[in-house]
Amino acid sequence: MAESSRPTTPPTRSDAPRRPGPPELSSAQKLMVFVLSMTLFGLANIVTEVIPEVRVGPVEVGVSYLAFVPVIMVALFNPLYAALGAPLGEVVFVDLLMGDFSGIGELEGYLQMFLGLYIAGCLVRDPRSPRQLFAAGAVVVIVDKMLSAVVDIAKVSVGVDDAEFVPGLPQSILLLEGIDFVVALLVSGILFGALPAMALAPRLYGKIEPLLGLAPRDPGHPMPLAQRGTAAFMLLALFLSFVSMIAAFTSEIFDNFGVWEPDFIEQYGDRFLWIGASAALIVLVALAVAVRFVLASRRARAAQGSHGPDAQNTGERR
Amino acid sequence: MRKERDGISVEWVKLELLRTAYATRGGLLAARDPRFVIGWYLIFAVVPWFTHNITVLAALFTVCAAAVFLSRVGPLVLGLFVIGFVLESLYVLFAAWLFGGDMSTVLALVVLTLKLATISLASMAAFVSLDPEKLSDGLLSMHAPAMLSFGVSYGYRMLPVLMEEFHTVVDGHRLRSAPLAAKGFLGWRVVVRTATTLVQAFYPLMLNTAKRTRTTVEALETKGFTYAAEHPDGRRIRLAHLRADHRDVLLIAVTLLLVAASFALGHAYPLQAGVG
Amino acid sequence: MTGIDNTPAIEVSGLSFRYPGADRDSLTGVDLRIERGDFTAVVGGNGSGKTTLCKTFNGLVPHYWSGTFDGAVRVMGHDTRDLSVGALSHLVGYVYQDFGNQLVRPTARDEVSFAPVNFGLADHRERTEEALELLGVTHLADRFTWQLSGGQQHLVALAAIMALRPDVVVVDEPVAELDPAHADGIYEALADLNARLGTTVVVIEHHAEYVARHARSVVLMADGAPVWHLPAREAMERVAELERHGIPAPQVVRATRSLAPWAPVPLTVEEAAGHLREHFSDPGGGPGPLPPAAPPGTADSPGPRRPSGEPVAEMVGVRHGYREVGGGLAVVLHELDLTLRDGERVALVGGNGAGKSTLMRLFTGLKVPREGTVRVGGTDTRTVRPAALADRVCYLYQRPEQMFLKDNVREDVAMFPRGRGRSDTDALVADVLDRVDLTGLADRDGRLLSGGQQRRATLAIGLAMRPALLLLDEPTSSLDTASRDAVIAMLDALADTIRCTVVATHDMHLVAEWAHRVLVLDHGRIIADTTPAALFADQALMASVGLVAPQITRLGLSLGLNPPPLSVGEMLDRHQTTGRIRA
Repeated sequence: MAESSRPTTPPTRSDAPRRPGPPELSSAQKLMVFVLSMTLFGLANIVTEVIPEVRVGPVEVGVSYLAFVPVIMVALFNPLYAALGAPLGEVVFVDLLMGDFSGIGELEGYLQMFLGLYIAGCLVRDPRSPRQLFAAGAVVVIVDKMLSAVVDIAKVSVGVDDAEFVPGLPQSILLLEGIDFVVALLVSGILFGALPAMALAPRLYGKIEPLLGLAPRDPGHPMPLAQRGTAAFMLLALFLSFVSMIAAFTSEIFDNFGVWEPDFIEQYGDRFLWIGASAALIVLVALAVAVRFVLASRRARAAQGSHGPDAQNTGERR
Repeated sequence: MRKERDGISVEWVKLELLRTAYATRGGLLAARDPRFVIGWYLIFAVVPWFTHNITVLAALFTVCAAAVFLSRVGPLVLGLFVIGFVLESLYVLFAAWLFGGDMSTVLALVVLTLKLATISLASMAAFVSLDPEKLSDGLLSMHAPAMLSFGVSYGYRMLPVLMEEFHTVVDGHRLRSAPLAAKGFLGWRVVVRTATTLVQAFYPLMLNTAKRTRTTVEALETKGFTYAAEHPDGRRIRLAHLRADHRDVLLIAVTLLLVAASFALGHAYPLQAGVG
Repeated sequence: MTGIDNTPAIEVSGLSFRYPGADRDSLTGVDLRIERGDFTAVVGGNGSGKTTLCKTFNGLVPHYWSGTFDGAVRVMGHDTRDLSVGALSHLVGYVYQDFGNQLVRPTARDEVSFAPVNFGLADHRERTEEALELLGVTHLADRFTWQLSGGQQHLVALAAIMALRPDVVVVDEPVAELDPAHADGIYEALADLNARLGTTVVVIEHHAEYVARHARSVVLMADGAPVWHLPAREAMERVAELERHGIPAPQVVRATRSLAPWAPVPLTVEEAAGHLREHFSDPGGGPGPLPPAAPPGTADSPGPRRPSGEPVAEMVGVRHGYREVGGGLAVVLHELDLTLRDGERVALVGGNGAGKSTLMRLFTGLKVPREGTVRVGGTDTRTVRPAALADRVCYLYQRPEQMFLKDNVREDVAMFPRGRGRSDTDALVADVLDRVDLTGLADRDGRLLSGGQQRRATLAIGLAMRPALLLLDEPTSSLDTASRDAVIAMLDALADTIRCTVVATHDMHLVAEWAHRVLVLDHGRIIADTTPAALFADQALMASVGLVAPQITRLGLSLGLNPPPLSVGEMLDRHQTTGRIRA
């Protein structure tokens, strides 16, 4: 055999690994995280279709989504790929396959969920920390619902001539949006988001990662986003929120978020400027809390637990 | 006495998938090129935002309602849509009345409702009867990410399998966990039990799915999925079957004509919801 | 022979590989040469590095699974490190053990065309049709993959890799997830590819029976390196060595070795029958089959035994089915009457879709029949909730990982007794874990155990429920021979705590060695209620429901033994007895 004349072990290649250190994901590993996240959240959404919903007037006390599933994903794995995958699971498994596809409304939902999850996932440094998981669960729903409120309000402002001067309209929209927000935060964010994530993520930590050939997330090496200091984090978060709003508004102008699912309640908007300002305020407050939270946890880490506000405190602060 | 029910089950999911897959209902838009269907939808998603004229909106609404009828949208979907719409409108009206609304509020709401309803009807007519694979091919050809169309196929593939596993795990919980001594006030214990079971079911599901995913992604690698992301040939072949014919063009032409007619009608008989 | 033709299909030289974070090499110093057109079986115990080795052939190691990779693997003359995984898949196709997860597209045709389309091959259509044709699955092309049986799915997975026209096909444990009849089908398909196209076939296999019948050469792996690579017959002669590495020799080899030690090692039942016929005919002084002799020592007599035990559970006029697309009812069980009695060991056999799982599920009360009555211990399952029935009936699913609901085996076993408030839960759990020999592993997650340990863990879950009726779905599927024997031994020992055990299975070894009563289910009807020996003797019935008797039984039948022997031991016993009678 002529070819075998080459030395069997070219040392230069054998010890040159294809990829550097463990935190860097290969494209296959990214794909795995993505597909896993997509599959699980898709399944979770099919399951929520099954759960009967309790409707109290305009307010659905149903589980709009099982937020804990993607929260665990972004907490355990690389938040970017997990956050990109999860909302696609909803679009594909439920909306496309079950014949519920709602056009551009899907894009809106995808962006909202992605941003919520990504920010939440970056907040988590240690998936075993109940405090951080609680914050993550709440943040997902806060970001998601806040963005959706902004979009809804924009729809009303565009859809109705001088909406802010129509008597009673702004207030009623604000009221319904507010109720919806609170219910979503309590049910999807806390009951089916933060609390289950707090119960499951620590049990899965260190167990599920090896099944994908990944190293568990190391609290000593948090995600770059949170690592680069709070200022950068805040800027990025602000930027992302802003981009999503711009995206929402531009797509608003060209077309609309045509949805025919019976959650129109959110779509009756309000006097845009007025609400927009308060929405922006909420964003800022949430960000400030998030920043403080990150700072506090950094300090706590530095001081090795000299002070430790528990989950409830975090909840109150927000 | 318990009875066998055909409610939500693995078989039900399979049935639903088959129904959407074979687009059994057929109808006006089901046979059209998906890109043109998406275009058709976009017309109705955009146009209503350019007018506050109730006559125009009503005409557009009528066109979309007719399209829904021709698309043979199931009565259940339609019924839910109507009930939802009426209820939501009532809530807003009630709230508006509470805050001192008047006739102009009602008119404003009519405008908004017509716009949203038109767009919703358009998405129903376009997408309910369209085979998801075809739809995702259409989106792919409009440069949507390849993951979208992969996700659709993969969902088709995995959904029944996953549902089956979910059922097995939930059944395991039903059989093996402590029986409830009492249902509690309004059955709250049952609610809590259902919720906790649901959450706990995801523990094994996540681990089992992770195991599956490893094989799947390895297989994707060998089947050139990542190769296709970098080389356009595969995409071209996949989308080669998308071919528009004169009927697709006709569809858009007729639609544009109808939209123009609506605006003409609105111009002739204007009805505005203005602020007094 | 030209130089090109001499290039081996696969050439491994000085290969070592270690997964990142592992404390030892998975492969160490592997040198191996697999010739073109060979049919090679890679055998070896769990953790011997078989699968890792085969994943170096298509470049998943080291392109996909990083780690320390030393040495070289050449496929058709190409170094695997010089080609991408995608390019390598044109040379080597790989079918996984869990092939179901390898299918990523909705329909069979879609699956097969997926790779050619991804690679942008202009002739993708021809390749797809050709591959479907090659594996004989053209008629399944437009079916959804989840509508296919396991065997059909495997063929589709094979067709999908053949669409790239690879020179080498690697198949990881085809027998593990398939019933024997389908496994035979896969092996026939592989042999066909090997013969018609000259495709080099590499199978990872635990079951020596299939190795002996189909492989031309055998690689024995141990501790991350090949022990030897020998022609199949030579490999099969090393009975003791194979046994040491957890690969018990095929039944026909063991029988022939004992009865006719001078004869060459048989690779098939026919060969063994040939050798033994000569041997048996010698003392009689003329050719002819072994005279059918009534086995004096065996307890089983032909014809179903009718135990007089108390009924444990029964079905009366049960009809059940599920809704179809058109809204019609697909009937799974028709007018079924069945009584299960105290002390019975029942095997439920029949092809896919015969209704075995549905029948078992009806006993658990998770489903109630559309018509007819199911009673467990006299209670109509319609009148109570499944949770209440769980005190009496336990159903163990085919896939163990679906039964692990908690973090560790101990918690899973304790879940039921603790939930029912049994005060002696801890003692019970300790006792049960001890019985299935898992005390040392009780704090691990069930999913992370080996296949055999997983089965034993699910058995422990069942035992801790203390049911009167224990139902098991395919308890021996995807187990290697040693683990399977351990599970069968454990089932044997259940008699003292469980009143009646029902096993739905394709594994005829399990039926032969464990069952007393066999129910043959076909299209929702019980077409036979008999004993294992009588079932195996009825070849028309066996063929009609697609069952294949164990080798030793078929050997006995072809030697004219009736009732046929159910185990190698029985065959040997009867031979001695017959010998004595004739002498």
